[in-house]
Amino acid sequence: MKSRLWILVKGELQRLNKYNMTFISILVAFLWGVMLFFVNAEILGTLLPLVILLDATMMSLMYVGSVMYFEKSEATISTMLVTPVSNAELLLSKLLANTLHNMGASALLIAVFVIIKDVQVEYLFIIIGIIIATASHTLLGIVMAYFSKDFTGVLMTVMVFSLTMMTPLILLMLNIIEGEVWEVVLLINPIQAAKEVISAGFTGYVFTYKYYLSLGYLLFGSLALYKFYALPRFQDYAIKNSGV
Amino acid sequence: MFKVENLKFRYPKNKEDTINGINFDIAKGEIFGFLGPSGAGKSTTQMIMIKILENFEGSIYYNDKDITKFSDEFYEDIGVSFEMPIHFTKMTAMENIDFFLKLYKNKGDVESLMKRVNLWEDRDKMVGEYSKGMKIRLNIVRALLNNPNMLFLDEPTNGLDPMNAMILKDMIREFRDNGGTVFITSHIMSDIDQLCDRVAFIVEGRIIEMDSPRNLKIKYGKRSMTLEYKENGETTKVEFPLDSIGKNKEFLNLLQTKEIETLHSGETTLEDIFIKVTGVQLKDEE
Repeated sequence: MKSRLWILVKGELQRLNKYNMTFISILVAFLWGVMLFFVNAEILGTLLPLVILLDATMMSLMYVGSVMYFEKSEATISTMLVTPVSNAELLLSKLLANTLHNMGASALLIAVFVIIKDVQVEYLFIIIGIIIATASHTLLGIVMAYFSKDFTGVLMTVMVFSLTMMTPLILLMLNIIEGEVWEVVLLINPIQAAKEVISAGFTGYVFTYKYYLSLGYLLFGSLALYKFYALPRFQDYAIKNSGV
Repeated sequence: MFKVENLKFRYPKNKEDTINGINFDIAKGEIFGFLGPSGAGKSTTQMIMIKILENFEGSIYYNDKDITKFSDEFYEDIGVSFEMPIHFTKMTAMENIDFFLKLYKNKGDVESLMKRVNLWEDRDKMVGEYSKGMKIRLNIVRALLNNPNMLFLDEPTNGLDPMNAMILKDMIREFRDNGGTVFITSHIMSDIDQLCDRVAFIVEGRIIEMDSPRNLKIKYGKRSMTLEYKENGETTKVEFPLDSIGKNKEFLNLLQTKEIETLHSGETTLEDIFIKVTGVQLKDEE
């Protein structure tokens, strides 16, 4: 299974490149980079984690949604269904490839700002944060794609989800919503939880139970979503979109 | 090689069964055809046999083993070509084939397959630039690249020009002659007539008739001989019963004394037989 999974992951990465998703991803990272380059150090300290958060969450949803739309439009999933590849391998390969791909842009951004702006990061925690935030949102994006009929549907689902989930986060950041109770309750929002784990990668973050709660929520929530929903529903999704 | 017993299937949102208790078997080295109009249940049957659709009633055995007991390794042994050409269009033909080839333990000779379907020269072109016929031919390469023992072909020549359709039919026959087994679904009568060792007529999820094309023609054909001859500048057509034709004095006399233009046995086409047996037109569905 291991080697076949790697073949599938390489194939997914190759298609992400062929379908210009890699180019778009780098372009978006470049635009973020240009924007951040001209802000002062104080604002950069606030904005960089936010940009990394957007990249790991919203952009992950968008990229995987787009990739799965391409797959639907070409009905290539039917060909995959008649190979010796299991549904678990197919789904895992999408998850791994898109996570790796989406992490690339975040890694690039951080590397650039570490080098040119001397941004201080905790490498272990930033890596853990980006991996868990990207993987969990990629999985969410895959599940959203199960329900989207076309590309407009993909965009709408991602936008509605992002808007709904980002609003309480912004309200909390602007202190419109205050208090520790809210801070904990809102961790049920995956983007809020992702913000917590990504923030831990930047120097100055104070570790509390909220970090471990967020990490556990994203990790075990994703495992549960994968095992109890994404994988069992994959065959139905594949047949519906196989075009045969 | 394949044995299907009392197969029934209903799509979750349907009120009625799409497949209504069909029975058939396919022998090793046989080309078995499923002939029927669109919506008759041909592709559904194939989707069940290749383990894409589950939750069916009845039993299906492949090499005496229940297909539900097979793991994904089942696909090492079969090749499938869907009716619609399905490829990654922003990748070249070879990139497509190389990717799929790596997923199998058993690897076929891609170069000879691509050459056989006249795609070798265009192997580095994006599949998106291919014509429909080229994409269909690439489908066949894709189906054969793991050297399968069993081939499932859904409307294999649909959209192909006569030349390439002929190449494809030759490849299917060669596959059979080398020990392979083929299941073809089609609504194109000539494919079935020219290729299949046996054919089943399927309408509304039921098999109405099943036999070799030859036996069906004998069974349902008109046993007559039609002769056309020229006399006084005009063509005259006469029909004789086929039984004891060699002793029919009028027939023999015409052969000896007239300028014969045509001489045909009353063999019925598979299409006529299909219509006669099922009461359903095939061409309306094309």
